[in-house]
Amino acid sequence: MHHVIIGNGIAGVSAAEAIRRIDPHSAITMIGDETEIPYCRPMISMVLEGALGPERLPIRGRDFYASLKISPLLGERVTALDTDARQVTIGEGRTISYDRLLIASGADPRPIKAEGCDLENIFFLRNQAQVRRMQAVLPDAREALVLGGGLVGFKAAYGLLRRGLKVTLVIRSGYPLSMQADETAGAMVLAELCRQGLDVRVGVEAIGFEGGTAVRRAHLSDGTQLACDLVVVGKGVLPAHSFVNRSQITVDLGIVVDAHMRTGAAHVFAAGDVAEAVDLARQTRWVNAIWPEAVAQGRLAGQNMAGRSVAGTGSLGRNVIRIFDLDIMTGGIVSPEQEKGYEILQCHDPRSHTYRKMVFQCDRLVGVVMVNRIEQGGVLLSMIQGRIPVAIDKEKMLSPGFNYAQLLP
Amino acid sequence: MKQVVVHPERCVGCRQCMLACATAHSQSQRLTSAVLETPRPKPRVHVGVGRLEEGFPNRCRHCDPAPCMLACLPGAIYRDTATQTVLIDADRCINCASCAMVCPFGVLRYHADRLAPAGKTVAVKCDNCIARQIQGLVPACVEACRTGALTFETLDQAMKRKTDAVSRSMSTTAVEAEAPAGVSLLHQIKKVQARLRT
Repeated sequence: MHHVIIGNGIAGVSAAEAIRRIDPHSAITMIGDETEIPYCRPMISMVLEGALGPERLPIRGRDFYASLKISPLLGERVTALDTDARQVTIGEGRTISYDRLLIASGADPRPIKAEGCDLENIFFLRNQAQVRRMQAVLPDAREALVLGGGLVGFKAAYGLLRRGLKVTLVIRSGYPLSMQADETAGAMVLAELCRQGLDVRVGVEAIGFEGGTAVRRAHLSDGTQLACDLVVVGKGVLPAHSFVNRSQITVDLGIVVDAHMRTGAAHVFAAGDVAEAVDLARQTRWVNAIWPEAVAQGRLAGQNMAGRSVAGTGSLGRNVIRIFDLDIMTGGIVSPEQEKGYEILQCHDPRSHTYRKMVFQCDRLVGVVMVNRIEQGGVLLSMIQGRIPVAIDKEKMLSPGFNYAQLLP
Repeated sequence: MKQVVVHPERCVGCRQCMLACATAHSQSQRLTSAVLETPRPKPRVHVGVGRLEEGFPNRCRHCDPAPCMLACLPGAIYRDTATQTVLIDADRCINCASCAMVCPFGVLRYHADRLAPAGKTVAVKCDNCIARQIQGLVPACVEACRTGALTFETLDQAMKRKTDAVSRSMSTTAVEAEAPAGVSLLHQIKKVQARLRT
């Protein structure tokens, strides 16, 4: 049996480990675009910030591939996949046959449509190599422009601010973290960022850049111009599945998988940022490109590839961010459409800087937003994940004193 | 292997376990001097107030597989296989709260700790009093518990006691209640009080 894993991010790594735990002998080949030993992607912004050295990023030992008897093919991208012939093509045409295939190719930064994007010092913040390149130009950088108010934009802006740069954050929507948080939490975050010296422009986007070889100036959609010598583009990510033949494998935004992480093609699995499983809060297919889901899906895929039939329940989008003096934890449906019959409870205490919002659908909790006092957030998110009917007074779940004991019969 | 077993029906919410836990994780190991220490020792067991204002000693279950261990970004959470204890490496912890996001029981707290690098805020939770166990002592919360809500025993042993109690309660000569008489009475009163309030 030959297992081939496309991707050496956390989904691929978790899958390889799960296969090895069940099956010590089968051959495993991992094809990875990045040549580093497996590392923690969400932590790269901490290296940019200077809070951690790059030596803190690896999450497995140098001997990861050798100790699990994995043949690594690093620095390679898959260019084609033929599920009838059961083989993948890498680079210029080398083919590799598989018995079981996992597509854990992750996601790539969403490119922007603006003039002058090819100027120097315009970066994405997705991998270690990009951070290294940014660090190289940091000593000469004074004014940074960060595009996108999502998690990556946010972490980039935070990191550069801590590096002493003047940072302008440009957000197309009306408030930061619009994909993760609701308007109230977004406004609290915005106020905190401004208080910390960040220049935030909402409701605008960058339409062009100019400069000689390196970027010097940006043009925004509202007609303003901004001087900048470093630009970070953090407009989200797109699943990396350009090599997939859509007549063989069902692809929506991500690669559609069932509860066993199986794709539409025989013996082909998908997991992590590239996969689209059922979202537990929305009860529909959804790409939840987050670290804990990649771990869980990778493990699940690995177990099934090794011949053990294990079904998952689905995925849940959730995030936790600590930014200056604010802790934000969110998950599920946070800004539901009004007509869909959701019940919303919220409690905002500006004096203690705490905010809690819960979204219910009948007796199920389907969404949570918490600003500060987030310790019990895991209890609430677990209730969403488990689709556990709420048997207690819903108002009690908003209280700062809410804890696990109150759920007991 | 012995482990801490929680019997919530016996908890009266006295919070002695919290005090004992904080003391056991202090520098001086004595309550009177522990309160003067910096950082101030904090408990890793949390007596939550239930719906009827009854207590519930909420501590880490050392789950297997542990969601916190899988979600930990820097790989700081690991399992001590000898005691089946889930532990946090304070040096590796980055205080990202990913563990709090996935803990179904809400047992993680974030603060400075004697066993962490000075001044660093880290994730802190129950360590099964491994340091005390090495000295042949039972976990501090168990030692402090006056009502038997926390016991240190093998799961087989705990299960047998429970089974025996159930069979005794089925017999015609049943006398012994599951919880001590005083505790049952206290819970009855709390239930009535809660009903009167609403």
